[in-house]
Amino acid sequence: MSEENETPLLGAFGEPSKPLHYLGPMQQIQPPRRRFKETETVDYVIVGVGSAGGVLLQRLARAGFSVIGFDAGPFWDTERDWVSDEAGSHKLYWNDLRITGGQHPLALGENNSGRGVGGGSVHWAAFTPRFHPSDFEVYTRDGVGADWPLDYQDIEPYYELLEQEIPVAGPAYYPWGKPHGYPYAPHPMGGVGDVLIKGCTRLGIGVSAGGPVAILSASRGNRPHCIYRGFCIQACKVGAKASTLITHVPDALEHGAEIRDNSMVSRVSMRPDGRADGVFYFDQQGKEHFQRARAVIVSGYAIETPRLLLNSACPGHEHGLANSSGLLGKFLMAQAGNVILGRFDDLIRLYKAPPAHALTEEFYETDPKRDFARGFAIQTVGPLPIAFARQMMTAKGLWGWGMRRTMMDYNHYASIALLGEILPWEDNTVTLADGHEGRPEARDRFGLPVASVTFNLHDNDKKMIEFGKNKVMEVMWAAGATEVVQESRYAHLVGGARMSRTPDSGVVDKFGRSWDVPNLFVMDGSVMPTQGSANPGLTIQALAARTADYLISHGDAIFTSSRRDLEEPPCRKTLSPPGTFTAGVPHLR
Amino acid sequence: MALADKTPHEVALALPAPLRKPAEIVIDHIRHGTFQRSMSVLVMGTSLVSGLEVGYEHYRGSYSNPVMYTPVVLSGVLTIAGATSFMSRKMAKTFLRYIAWTTLIDGIIGFGFHIRGIARKPGGWRMPIVNVVMGPPLFAPLLFGTSAYLGVIASYLQREEDHGPRAQRLEAEAATGPADFRKEIATGQFQKHFCVVTAAATVCCGLEVWYSHYKDNFKYRVQWSPILVAPVLLAAAIGGFKSKRIADTLLPIASAAAIVNGLVGSYYHVRGILNRPGGRKKPVYNVLYGPPIFAPMLFAACGLFGMMAYFMRREKR
Amino acid sequence: MATKPDAPPPQMPTDPATGRPLPPREQPGYYPGFSTLEQQNYWDAATRKLVLDRVARTLPIRFFTPEEVRTLAAVVNRILPQEDRAPARRIDILGVIDNRLFENRIDGYRYIDMPPDQEAYRIGIRAFEQMARTLFQRSFHELAIIDQERLIESIHDAKPMAAQEDWSKLNIERFWGLLVSDCCGAYYAHPWAWDEIGFGGPAYPRGYMRLEDGEAEPWEVEESRYGWNAPSDTLSDDERLHGSGQQHQTHHGTGGTH
Repeated sequence: MSEENETPLLGAFGEPSKPLHYLGPMQQIQPPRRRFKETETVDYVIVGVGSAGGVLLQRLARAGFSVIGFDAGPFWDTERDWVSDEAGSHKLYWNDLRITGGQHPLALGENNSGRGVGGGSVHWAAFTPRFHPSDFEVYTRDGVGADWPLDYQDIEPYYELLEQEIPVAGPAYYPWGKPHGYPYAPHPMGGVGDVLIKGCTRLGIGVSAGGPVAILSASRGNRPHCIYRGFCIQACKVGAKASTLITHVPDALEHGAEIRDNSMVSRVSMRPDGRADGVFYFDQQGKEHFQRARAVIVSGYAIETPRLLLNSACPGHEHGLANSSGLLGKFLMAQAGNVILGRFDDLIRLYKAPPAHALTEEFYETDPKRDFARGFAIQTVGPLPIAFARQMMTAKGLWGWGMRRTMMDYNHYASIALLGEILPWEDNTVTLADGHEGRPEARDRFGLPVASVTFNLHDNDKKMIEFGKNKVMEVMWAAGATEVVQESRYAHLVGGARMSRTPDSGVVDKFGRSWDVPNLFVMDGSVMPTQGSANPGLTIQALAARTADYLISHGDAIFTSSRRDLEEPPCRKTLSPPGTFTAGVPHLR
Repeated sequence: MALADKTPHEVALALPAPLRKPAEIVIDHIRHGTFQRSMSVLVMGTSLVSGLEVGYEHYRGSYSNPVMYTPVVLSGVLTIAGATSFMSRKMAKTFLRYIAWTTLIDGIIGFGFHIRGIARKPGGWRMPIVNVVMGPPLFAPLLFGTSAYLGVIASYLQREEDHGPRAQRLEAEAATGPADFRKEIATGQFQKHFCVVTAAATVCCGLEVWYSHYKDNFKYRVQWSPILVAPVLLAAAIGGFKSKRIADTLLPIASAAAIVNGLVGSYYHVRGILNRPGGRKKPVYNVLYGPPIFAPMLFAACGLFGMMAYFMRREKR
Repeated sequence: MATKPDAPPPQMPTDPATGRPLPPREQPGYYPGFSTLEQQNYWDAATRKLVLDRVARTLPIRFFTPEEVRTLAAVVNRILPQEDRAPARRIDILGVIDNRLFENRIDGYRYIDMPPDQEAYRIGIRAFEQMARTLFQRSFHELAIIDQERLIESIHDAKPMAAQEDWSKLNIERFWGLLVSDCCGAYYAHPWAWDEIGFGGPAYPRGYMRLEDGEAEPWEVEESRYGWNAPSDTLSDDERLHGSGQQHQTHHGTGGTH
């Protein structure tokens, strides 16, 4: 083996050169610092700066509120902290202990919530389909699941807005749900996308190539376009894949927001008059602090949000904050994410191109010809070697020489995933592992009980998975695979603090305001009553932008009044980050 | 070489009888610079095609900078300018001339933007090959200038109806004053000039073909063919600039080869698009992301330039 | 059940044409001469440091006892055998697992029917050893490879041949998932393994330009396959779903696709 390494002009790429905080190779900001004292009362505290928290932080800061975003993880410097390596990206995930059980326990950790500013949007694959109009009235249409307290029309302007802000790349005409188009052009195909398109077109199934994904297909401002390296879910060092860390947080800081990173919020503090007055949090050294605030927004993900509210139980809220309905932590959902792996005689090299780059929603809606309600989507995925080996362990039961042999054929495999809608069930829960009432006991390093997650599939879910899995396998065979295997798994946790029309049927109202505490809000995936078979990221961000408009419309009344106004706010286009409306292609709105 | 070492008129004589006369006329008009109308039609056609090309290429680039609309708009206007110039001498001298120069300058500005676009990719110009291949197509803005350049030429030509005494009078007048490229164009005496243009276009186009086919790993052997033809055409064009003999011999042969190669390439590119996953069921996507459908015609255009240079008379200087 | 008296000769993959053992290779796999490490100058500094450290480091054993190491090393050598690799080019798996457990780097969750990872490993190792003692009256690492594989296969099938009491302390299927996941996580994180399977490795700032049809980048290597058979007596060159064959549970560390 030669000692001489290939070298770019001017030698190997070195350390970042400037003493600035890098958010992608071109976007640099002054190293973030503290702005608010603990004795100061800020307007809003946001717990968790992820998909929803990042958007809320940016909107509220732009509207002139004083706001702090807390995150349990670090404020990433993309050049210094992130690596282009599968094993080295473990730190992006929420790796603190959680207990998982039930008949079909969910694998948590790396597949789900993130840790650090940007949250899950740092390691999402960035598929950004919208929900369909039918998703908002599942119960009315199919008699299962639940209806949302809002309609597609209420969220539609925010979809359009966020698709511009992110921006989303995809076809100019996207036929499913309410047809629409995307502001950035679709991406070129990689080997896996080609397989999906080949399989689908041979079976006469419509398929969308090159999007919708929150990955730049052309540069915008100080974000370069995709370099097709396939490390999307290891965090995009390129800055082509959107995360709120690089899309919304810089603008928030510009407008006076503070990010308090490495700060784990332990409970929401309540005043005797039934209003929240701040949060307690632990710094990195384990010292407890208190930050005063006029209102609190919890955006901690479908597991940490219920956990925080349950851990905030206090006199008057003995079963957890905002839990008078008893539904906090219930109706947790995950989407079925079976991965179907097909071997081809020709090389695929599935590690190239973004994992997310082609999909079909042809089976999204309820079909009376099938024996289950609701449906599924089919999407490309691109497991890197470690994830692929683990999938093969399950899919083919491999170990030893068999594992080594199959792995040597890594480049011959394509992988396509099911994304199926599992309905909300009351027995799928997040509880505290506090040792009470037969619950397990486990605590984190601050002594707080961790979350305990229970997950069971029900009959409709099992039928959907069976049908969907077989459909994806059919596509794989049609594309010319010589061997097709599959692994069962789940993705995208949502629910747990669902929004509802009435106080007894959910935890929050349609703007995320808790039914019990007038200045406590929940805004993240946990408010979703149902989940569709669309990846939830875009919907979470759109809901957050809508709630921000609601909060801004009501101004200081949020901090003092308990009056609950459920009028839809106007959709403000003046609060978008700079550059939102100057780029993009003409598309169907 | 004996066959090729003939004047264009002698070549025309070798054609089958029915074609002989039209060929004679075409050559005669080219040699005297009296083909403004035909050139205007050519401008119209090429700018329509390059407008479509830049339209979809910039769609791929998501019009992420509003400046990306300028070539699309300008090539539309240039198409109209070409049409009006076919009908009116005055339009050719004014409208077409201004628009053509503007478009040409836009192409050069675009070249600057594309250089910058590559610099802004991760690794920038430190990894020239990867970033040229995956960045904005480097030479495309210059090649986009091709139709603009033809427009500039057209605007200085004489019209077909000027052929004969009027053209002779102009030529006699031109011979008296100092040499000037405008006069040379108007009298069809700009072979050397056109050889330089042919060479420049061939360099840009050749490099573009090379890296595009390199991106595709030269999967088909036929992808090498333009890479082989381009240097020959380049050598012929440079040689044609220096020597009339080469302009009369190698240049037409190399040019013909490029034209044929471009036509064959077009066939393969269309076939490539149809053979993509989804084929004709995903026509828009596959035209966008398959082999560039107009690119081989651009290569053929280099050959066309060479062929026109061959037909022309040389500058006196 | 028969046991061989002495430490067994290494199991070697064989040439299908001749049936003879294939000599160990510097780099097994179908991409001769491909080296991701040679591309390190095209990587960003943070990634380069991480990957080069991974190659250079020798991890101390801090969590397992020497006895546990002996047993687990034998198990790991069967989970991902490396006899086809030249001794200097074998990839440390045990050290990575030890390091993870010592530093308590967990995947973010624990199954309700599983003890913490550290305890699970201790139980598992003890149970493997106990199976060997019960059935063969010797230590697990002293068994013939075929016997080791038999015992391991019984765990793969979630039907332990002995030591039922130890195995009852955890969910065997999940333990199997944990063990194999950890082994794969260590092996396929190594650049030598990337070279073996033809994975391009780190890709920033330089990404890819040949996305379709499995075309190789200019710096990648075209596939050139050769035939090899797993050692004739091995049990691990088999494709059979593990445990109950029910795939309704996901496994430890099976993450990171979407």
